[in-house]
Amino acid sequence: MNAVFQKVYDFVDERIDLKTLEAKMMNEPIKGGSRWAYVFGSCLLFIFIMQAITGMLLMFYYIPSADHAYASTQYIIHEVDYGWFILSYHFWGSSAMVVMVFAHMSQVFLWGAYKKPREMIWLVGLVLFVIVMAFGFTGYLLPWDQRAYWATTVGVEIMDKTPLVGDFLARFLKGGPTPGQMTLSRFFVIHVMILPAALMGLAGLHLFFFRSAGPAGPFRGTPEELKAKTDFFFPRQVWKDIVAIAAVFMAICALAFIEPVQLLEQATPDPGDYHPEPEWYFLFLFQMLRWKIFSGEFGEVLGAVAIPGMFLLLLAALPFIDRNPERNIFKRPIALLSWTVVMIGILVLTVSAILNREFLE
Amino acid sequence: MAHPVENISSIKLAWAVSWSAFWTGFPFKLIVALLLLAGQVHPWEGAGLVTLLVVSVPIDIWAVGLTARTVFLERLGMEVRGPVGVSLWWEGAVLGALVLGSGYYAVGTTVAVGQKIAAAIIARIKNFYPKLPIAEQITLELLLWTIPAAIVLLVFVLVWLHLFGWRVKRFVMTSGQPSSASLLERVRQWDYARVPADPTLVLVSFAGVIVTLTVVFWVLLPVTTPTPHPDYPLPQVEKASKPVKPEELIKKTEANLEKAEAVLAALEKEKSKETKKRKGK
Repeated sequence: MNAVFQKVYDFVDERIDLKTLEAKMMNEPIKGGSRWAYVFGSCLLFIFIMQAITGMLLMFYYIPSADHAYASTQYIIHEVDYGWFILSYHFWGSSAMVVMVFAHMSQVFLWGAYKKPREMIWLVGLVLFVIVMAFGFTGYLLPWDQRAYWATTVGVEIMDKTPLVGDFLARFLKGGPTPGQMTLSRFFVIHVMILPAALMGLAGLHLFFFRSAGPAGPFRGTPEELKAKTDFFFPRQVWKDIVAIAAVFMAICALAFIEPVQLLEQATPDPGDYHPEPEWYFLFLFQMLRWKIFSGEFGEVLGAVAIPGMFLLLLAALPFIDRNPERNIFKRPIALLSWTVVMIGILVLTVSAILNREFLE
Repeated sequence: MAHPVENISSIKLAWAVSWSAFWTGFPFKLIVALLLLAGQVHPWEGAGLVTLLVVSVPIDIWAVGLTARTVFLERLGMEVRGPVGVSLWWEGAVLGALVLGSGYYAVGTTVAVGQKIAAAIIARIKNFYPKLPIAEQITLELLLWTIPAAIVLLVFVLVWLHLFGWRVKRFVMTSGQPSSASLLERVRQWDYARVPADPTLVLVSFAGVIVTLTVVFWVLLPVTTPTPHPDYPLPQVEKASKPVKPEELIKKTEANLEKAEAVLAALEKEKSKETKKRKGK
């Protein structure tokens, strides 16, 4: 058996120089050795691949029309073999992707890995973050139930408030005065064609920049210690990545079991008793917009567009503002404090939004 | 000369061991939990919980032993022989039961008292500012009781880490032997300690376990949705059954047959005309 494998390997190697490719992929030196903190990027790649696979399986049955989207989703849940599981996995996979993006960005921020010479990796990563959020937003509409319809309505209304381009963006996405067939078609195309293509291209670029600059390594330790612990990507980091990926896979499966996707009533332009709410990872922003300070025309623009936009711009400018080569987070108190405040803020506002539900009943 | 253990704080040492041990054992526990879920047994209650806890004990002992040895060798330059996992696990478990058990009640009490105080503060604020909006009120109230509760929780976790770290230090001091190897040699030693004697056998066994678990998972997994969806059931569309009237059906069929016969006769007539014309030519 080994001889057959060896022959196949030699055949491929002779034609595409497999050994060099393998060496480049696996023998990348990791300063300071492998770490659990480095697994988030691999996990993200895995989640995206699984989202693509489950998404394709769902597309075998899903019909992107306002007349059939809801019924076909119900059919997937109730009639298709393992359809409930595949849909629930895809649903929770999107949440896992958002969580993992936050974890990955936090790790890069806390490790100071965005600093020179890794500014380009950070910038492309930031665009990838926006793409992941856009995936969540566009995918949310596709089941065409009340939750989907009204979350999209609220989301597009928020987008409409953006100065200069808001009106165009909102009209382009809706394709009409109210969400309908055109909206569903456009969201579907963006979700299954444009965003995956953009993500694949940019993820490739992100990896290329990463391999060019090399891993930043730990922020602590003497040069002798780091040199002593320097390791190759294979086998230890590969093993850690596999364990983390398995844990992520199992966690998503567990969530699909505990809380499988359930649709509300079919989408109608009348919300009835339903209180529109976005997906959980946008809840903090949604709750913030309920504050008195963000009411009124100016307040809405400030809360919905200006503050998130400024925050993204600040993140993009971060490697150029923070030029101090110090990477140890415990010697960067402003960075540590800012990260803690942002995380606690997101957590408190998300919980507040959940508590706020009972006041709407 | 001070013992190498004296150079590290109890909390740091306990954190290094317990945090790594938690993540080392976590994927294995997740496998058990997932198989229970696939078999529609909840791992957070009843028999499912008991199974998970029973399986978790050997996993935790193994994980604590593995990570503790690594920390001792790499950070402290100490080699420890004997059952490290069992010795440290039971001490950690007893301390956990005592400290985190009492912490559970302390946090619960803080939450209850904190919520009452927060409600009283909000009521007082509303006396001065009756139009306090709901969104601001919720966030304010949440912060007022979660901050003290989080502090109490943190204190209890730190107490447990301190006590566990103290036990770990005592264990290393009594059972450990200082390693004379350099840092590089210790790292290599730590590396080789993890490389199995027969890697092929390990890989084949590992692949076999993965395949078996995957098969078990798909066998247990329900084919159709396991949840009844009581609130939003699939609307049962009944096919409208057409009422059958035999007499009308017979009449309709006879009429169709008559039409078909007429068409057939016309076609035959036309064909015979064409045949005659050809013969005439």
